Amino acid sequence: MLRLDCPVCGLRDHDEFTYLEDGSITYPKLTNENQDDWFDAVYLRENPRGRHVEKWHHTFGCRTVLLVERDTLTHVIGKIKPAHPKIAAALKQPATAKKRS
Amino acid sequence: MLRQASRGEIRAEKVGMAVAGSTSLLAHKAGLGRLPIESHKLQAFVSEPIKPFLDSVVVYGVGHGHFYISQSDKGGMVFGGNLDGYNSYAQKGNLPLYTDVASCAMNMMPALGRVKLLRQWAGIMDMSMDGSPFITKTDINGLYLNAGWCYGGFKATPASGWCFAHTIAHDAPHDVNKLLTLDRYKTGHMLDESGHGPYPKSH
Repeated sequence: MLRLDCPVCGLRDHDEFTYLEDGSITYPKLTNENQDDWFDAVYLRENPRGRHVEKWHHTFGCRTVLLVERDTLTHVIGKIKPAHPKIAAALKQPATAKKRS
Repeated sequence: MLRQASRGEIRAEKVGMAVAGSTSLLAHKAGLGRLPIESHKLQAFVSEPIKPFLDSVVVYGVGHGHFYISQSDKGGMVFGGNLDGYNSYAQKGNLPLYTDVASCAMNMMPALGRVKLLRQWAGIMDMSMDGSPFITKTDINGLYLNAGWCYGGFKATPASGWCFAHTIAHDAPHDVNKLLTLDRYKTGHMLDESGHGPYPKSH
């Protein structure tokens, strides 16, 4: 069993999560009509044996989409953070700053 | 083709590459760059030997379910199910799928409930973006690729080998495998039989 340390919920078994996709993909802007850029993002994969950044959805938890670093050979889990930069930034703030005045 | 190995040069006029789960790794070394392939693991299970129980292969596949079972000559029940669902080169399984496959077995044949598992392992599958394979020439002159068979390659081996040999010998694909190219996604000619879209884990 892989165990992912969700920044919101804490350490949980991976069957609470859904694997989404390779997290290293940067999709082109929707206004980009260059077919090569889209082909690259949608179809081509680095597929490394080793460090891999990937998106997992905490389906049966907080429902946050997380960026997880995992080794595809040893399954050792590295850094975990929310995929959305604003949620990641909000979680980094000290607890006192989060309180409503 | 010319490769520098630890004991010297290795040369060949034509090279056929058919390495399943390690396709991306070898393609990087050959200079093919990134391929439309992800490596995923598929688990298989064998039970302790029992008396003759099942004389055929039973396959189940409705919706997201997937399960197959047969009995080996030595009496062990051989069965398996879905991929674990995340990229992996680790040839070992994981518990959630273990449970999932065991419950499929129980659903279909409740009599198996008290049979003990003998061994279990995982193999690395070269999952393509549409669930169909590649038997094709590559951008590198003299390098031919046979890959992307997902977990269906074993049964197709004779036909796949025949088409691959034809492609290598004629430096051109046979009519049967001319659509199994690497750039079919670019032109919109995917062979997505299950209609799951460009998600290798879903095929």
